[in-house]
Amino acid sequence: MSQWLMLFQKEILEMWRNFKWIWVPITFILLGVSEPLTSYYMKDILDSFGGLPEGAVIDIPTPTAGAVLASGLSQYSTLGVLIIVLSTMGIIAGERKSGVAAMILVKPVSYLSYVTSKWAGSLLLVWFSLFIGYLSTWYYTGQLFDWVPFGEFFQSYILYGLWLTVVLTVTVFFSASLIAPGMAGFISLAIALVVSIISGALSHLLEWSPSQLTGYASALLTVGELPDDTFPASLVGIFIIAILLWLSVFIFKKKELAS
Amino acid sequence: MSLIQIQGLKKSFQGTEVIKGLDFKLEKGKCIALLGPNGAGKTTTLRMLSGLMKPTGGSIVFNDAKKDGDIRHLIGYLPQFPVFYEWMSGLEFLQYVGQLTGLTSKEAKERSKELLELVGISDAKNRRVGKYSGGMKQRLGIAQAIIHRPQLVMLDEPVSALDPFGRREVLELLEGLKKETTILFSTHILNDAEEVCDEILFLHNGEIVESGTMEDLRERHQQAKIDLIFRKKTVGIADVFNHHALTLSILEEGNRISVIVKDVELARKEFLKLISDNDWHLEKFEISSMTLEDVFMKVVGK
Repeated sequence: MSQWLMLFQKEILEMWRNFKWIWVPITFILLGVSEPLTSYYMKDILDSFGGLPEGAVIDIPTPTAGAVLASGLSQYSTLGVLIIVLSTMGIIAGERKSGVAAMILVKPVSYLSYVTSKWAGSLLLVWFSLFIGYLSTWYYTGQLFDWVPFGEFFQSYILYGLWLTVVLTVTVFFSASLIAPGMAGFISLAIALVVSIISGALSHLLEWSPSQLTGYASALLTVGELPDDTFPASLVGIFIIAILLWLSVFIFKKKELAS
Repeated sequence: MSLIQIQGLKKSFQGTEVIKGLDFKLEKGKCIALLGPNGAGKTTTLRMLSGLMKPTGGSIVFNDAKKDGDIRHLIGYLPQFPVFYEWMSGLEFLQYVGQLTGLTSKEAKERSKELLELVGISDAKNRRVGKYSGGMKQRLGIAQAIIHRPQLVMLDEPVSALDPFGRREVLELLEGLKKETTILFSTHILNDAEEVCDEILFLHNGEIVESGTMEDLRERHQQAKIDLIFRKKTVGIADVFNHHALTLSILEEGNRISVIVKDVELARKEFLKLISDNDWHLEKFEISSMTLEDVFMKVVGK
């Protein structure tokens, strides 16, 4: 256990030294907060770009607070996913490529701890950044529109966090299986994208797909209640995370560290 | 007592056999040099012994291995080009590694400081490793390899990247380390092996072509050698010696000729006569026994 904690601490410290603790949360804040701000100032923005043509009557209805918050959240399933994949893809592959993984793992260090501590470090970063970013979005939406109940905010946060954790774990898995960080990132992004598109297109067939959690979170915010499939979809998500994590350790252990 | 036995160790890369069946064992407390030209398979052998690479055949048996075959607590390993977390300082890295191998944070700190002192980079202990020079990284690499007091320390070309001063210091370091642990280090520099090692394994094209203690080797290859150094490049002179009846083999390097001879007394007389008859400008005439380098050349050249 103390070995695991050492490894975990190192991850946290590394992310501090390379400023991930700063730029990832800030990006998440900017991504989320831009949504209530642009919605609120849409009229002014249009005016400053020359306004609408004379005589055009376009009535932009004021969106509900829940809808604004939901579209703020949706930023995280696109650009948020991109940031998570890019910042995690090298987590194991990069250390293996540079050779520092061999330096560490030639010592009596458990492979399980090595992989899971890295995963846990990134997990903390993702959940922290999402919380900070989403909380700011919630705050600005409350200030500019209406207050969404904190409970709904928190539940949708958990559901989104779970989907992003699935994405994160996929990235960690490919980072453990492939030697090129770029390749790991590319495949992880492609998978997240394809799963989202397929689950979206066939939503009535794939109600338990974890990527649906993003839709369920929006439903909670706009309609006010959670669809019935939320719970099984969450379970499937947790199951996939566990399996992928186990597979990551298994595959990584089989690899030769020097080539 | 033997620490590790290797039998029929083989490794192939894409069908090419790089290591062709090695058999040897390492005795506790010895310093063994793995010697061979570039591409002989030294690095591959060390990587297999350290578990970083899986052999394609044969066995490596550590006597004190854990039940599941884990040997990592027994060994310390320094790769040819050590890499560290560049954002850590030297001290931080050592402490980190020390704690990973089971030292408490206090023990790790003390041990790290002690090792930094030993390898001579304690002035740079708080500098980030990313700013270290090649020689400093090599020293830090040695420190991290021995931090958990392993039974066997394997060093892949520990001195090849160092300047003469650094080389000297690291060799002295190894000399001291010999008292505590078993050392296996690879090198292509014969003097280094000769200086600190008790035993030698000659590796050539993936095979052990010669092995034994220094004395064994010298005895086995005991031959008289005459070194001749001329003032100018020796056009045609080498040929004359090469065809001489007493000559066994000859090596020509610039204006220097080394001749292995059958009967050293007779050769001395005849060679000197030959030189004075022809009025060759001899600068130095030396009779010596074969050095490790000569053995190396002989073994590799065959």
